[in-house]
Amino acid sequence: MTTLFINEEEVTVSSGTSILEACRKQGVDVPYFCYHPELSVAANCRMCLVEVEGWAKPAASCCTPVGEGMRVTTQSEGLSKDREMIMEYLLIHHPLDCPVCDQGGACKLQDYTEEHGAEHGRYKELKRAVVDHNLGPFVSTCMTRCIHCTRCVRFADEIAGTGDMGVLNRADHMRIEGVVEDALASELSGNLADICPVGALLDKPSLDVSRPWEVKRHKSTCTQCPQGCDIVIESRGDEVIRIKPDHAANEPWICDRGRYVHDAFRADERILTPFIRASGLQAVSWDMAVEKTVSLLKGKRVGIVFSPDWSIEGLTAIRLLHDCVFDDAKVAFDLHRRDMRPFAFEEGFGMTPKQIVDANEVVILGSDLRQRLPILMQGLRQRSLAGKPVTRIGAMNYRTNSELSADALIRPREWPAVIARAMQQLKDLGKTAEGMDAWLSSVSERHEAGKLLADALLSDSCALLVGEEIRSHVDAAALIHGLDLIARASGHGEEGRDARNLIPEGMNASLLSAVFGDVRTSVGDLFDAAHDGELDALLLIGSDPLGDGLFSMQAKRAMGKVPLVQIGAVSGQVSEYADVMLPASAYSEVEGTFINMSGEVRMAEEPLSTVGDARPLWKVMMRLIQGFGMEIPAVDMNEIRASVQSYLPSLREVWAEGVDHTWRMPVARQRDANVLPVGVNPAMPLDVISRYSMYREGAWVRASASLIEAGNIRALDDVLVHPNTLKEAGLTVGECVIRTASGNYTFDVGVRDDVVEGVLFIAKRGVAGDLSCEVMASLGGGQ
Amino acid sequence: MQLIKRAFKTWMLWELVKGLALTIRYLFKPKITVEYPEERTPLSPRFRGLHALRRYDSGEERCIACKLCEVVCPALAIVIESEEREDGSRRTTRYDIDMTKCIYCGLCQEACPVDAIVETQHFEYASETREALYYTKEMLLDVGDRYESQIAANIAADAKYH
Repeated sequence: MTTLFINEEEVTVSSGTSILEACRKQGVDVPYFCYHPELSVAANCRMCLVEVEGWAKPAASCCTPVGEGMRVTTQSEGLSKDREMIMEYLLIHHPLDCPVCDQGGACKLQDYTEEHGAEHGRYKELKRAVVDHNLGPFVSTCMTRCIHCTRCVRFADEIAGTGDMGVLNRADHMRIEGVVEDALASELSGNLADICPVGALLDKPSLDVSRPWEVKRHKSTCTQCPQGCDIVIESRGDEVIRIKPDHAANEPWICDRGRYVHDAFRADERILTPFIRASGLQAVSWDMAVEKTVSLLKGKRVGIVFSPDWSIEGLTAIRLLHDCVFDDAKVAFDLHRRDMRPFAFEEGFGMTPKQIVDANEVVILGSDLRQRLPILMQGLRQRSLAGKPVTRIGAMNYRTNSELSADALIRPREWPAVIARAMQQLKDLGKTAEGMDAWLSSVSERHEAGKLLADALLSDSCALLVGEEIRSHVDAAALIHGLDLIARASGHGEEGRDARNLIPEGMNASLLSAVFGDVRTSVGDLFDAAHDGELDALLLIGSDPLGDGLFSMQAKRAMGKVPLVQIGAVSGQVSEYADVMLPASAYSEVEGTFINMSGEVRMAEEPLSTVGDARPLWKVMMRLIQGFGMEIPAVDMNEIRASVQSYLPSLREVWAEGVDHTWRMPVARQRDANVLPVGVNPAMPLDVISRYSMYREGAWVRASASLIEAGNIRALDDVLVHPNTLKEAGLTVGECVIRTASGNYTFDVGVRDDVVEGVLFIAKRGVAGDLSCEVMASLGGGQ
Repeated sequence: MQLIKRAFKTWMLWELVKGLALTIRYLFKPKITVEYPEERTPLSPRFRGLHALRRYDSGEERCIACKLCEVVCPALAIVIESEEREDGSRRTTRYDIDMTKCIYCGLCQEACPVDAIVETQHFEYASETREALYYTKEMLLDVGDRYESQIAANIAADAKYH
């Protein structure tokens, strides 16, 4: 610790802290442009000058470490003059276009000019103009306004890891250049607009729409991925202008998916009023729509498919509807899970993101983590930069923005062999767990990639990030049981050293396994049942199985066969088949509670006003229960929460005492989920994996124009294989026949070196998306 | 003596005579009545009447949607919505002034960085309906087109005091 004096006040900070940080901690105002707490120090704006007693010249406080007994002055006549001169210098080429600049009103340059600048500029010569760049659909540029603080360059370099931007030339000719002109290939690019202290980089979708003083800020939770970041929604009236990270929270960045999905809140796809189908969709009153719903569903065998992204109050209300009205209904929500046997460790994280980033070893098992959980991947990137290892085992060399210390490409059918190899190594070292021998003896093969897994587990702290390739595997329960065994054998099974993290489908994973664990079924089975006449009606609540997940083929077959009631915020493709549509409020428009992947509770307490006649989901559910002539189990938020507590008693204290970021909901662990792998002889040479894209998946995302644009820019070929796979089959790039268990299909097949040989990658939202439900395939010649 | 004087004045209706004398004096003086609407008083270049949105000589509207007038308006009479026009410039898609709210303080005109919103010397726009007093962007631009020469002259006349 170092003690120094700032403006004659004694301050104690840890040694190595910069003077600027010490001042910020003390609440002393020091102006700065280029400093950013999350980025490295550049010290090129010179705005943060302070005087240190005994020093000949003022010091740049952002890059000067504190010294014992230092006497720092932040306000003096000399400093005022220095700051005035620096402002004059920065403003020489800055255009006087504040009235048309979106930053105006929230601009550091403007504020400091007011505070420290001179009354008049003395520069009378021509100002320079700089050519703008096209940085893709999210960030708009006006480089003439740039003051060369290089925050964006450091962001691209240190955070995004793309190195898209750099500095060219010097002095008057200095320019920030985007190397990639079309698309800033980062999933965090939207943060650039936030970190730019002036109006050079601005938010493109909301350009020229609002002013900082017009917007109202609502704290909320993003439900676009299981991470559940804290966000601040900026709205003007009913209209959402921007979504920004909540700087009061831990995470300084949010991803583009969560940030730019906001145009979907007011998109044409929103369901605004109840509709019923009678020679086309007709807008009707709630009473009529509920009456119609009751007539369609009463006394019928119903299948309920819902999205996991509703608030936990809404989700519990679905369970109440199930219990009150459709006692024997089939319920499904995970659009990516084929294997419905209980998992040894259920979806959700045993560790917090911070613990994962700080662990000695991290192993990513079959996940495109950068697309799935971009903010966690960002944490892993910081970890890699610090020299800590990140290992990955999976079917594709998914592009990451960080160096991987070890990377093994395997085919999905090799997962049992990989886990067995790791298990064998642990067993040889004398580390065993109950049930390990039986598991081990049921797998005959060993795959060398397992060594990476075992080596990582032998470390003191380790994090296994189990991804979609395992979760969607046909034999997922066995694989997860195997992973559970090796985690326990290596001592990573107990509380405190838990390494088991299963990346869930969406938010609220730990609630879903508690509330729906006993009634859930597979989405594919549910739709097959509807197709085969075992169900009389379908109730879709926010889920879009035609657009997302693995079972679009089954969903397509079932829809139109049975009456369909859709409840949701966005209509999507499903509404073509819907007989009744009931509007439910979006996640930005409800008061509610959310649980993220690591079990942290997030409360949304300042909702936006809802659009049209939409109601919060739990109210819609209660209205339906009433329509069926039952007594309503909950009439207000407190009663709904009481119902949630009957499943998760520990939530009582959270609601009673407010949200604490340290409180976590434990993930369900099932010791008795004792499933052994079944050695099936693969019938076809290729494994099918459907690829996730953060810009294309999710009903909300497909209603957002800017994300669709980004998805189109970043799309890979719809069907991908390794060049050798194609060569072995004697084929060339282009039209090929894909033979699967359900039939033969002809699609254009592309090649990519990143893909492991023997795997067929399907883009879920591409033309061949329906093939996602397939597990194996073979290729044949074009016709 | 005083008593006699007062009695004399009372009996002679002296106050009445004095008052009527003033009336008669004014009867023969030149009149100051302005025969509105046939006659009008001169107005100051700073007169604050009906608002107008101005254009440049090229016909391009001046307003750049900075919304400073909207935020400075103490009566919250102005509503602006804006977006990026196809040529990349920032423009309003909606510019409404509710003349029933407006208190004619002139702050919008003061705030405008491009002299787009101004108050003209036109003040005879009373109507029988409220709706006619909700001015839209088209109406305001139309006012500007009609009074442009007058507005320009007023701004020129006032310029030396800025």
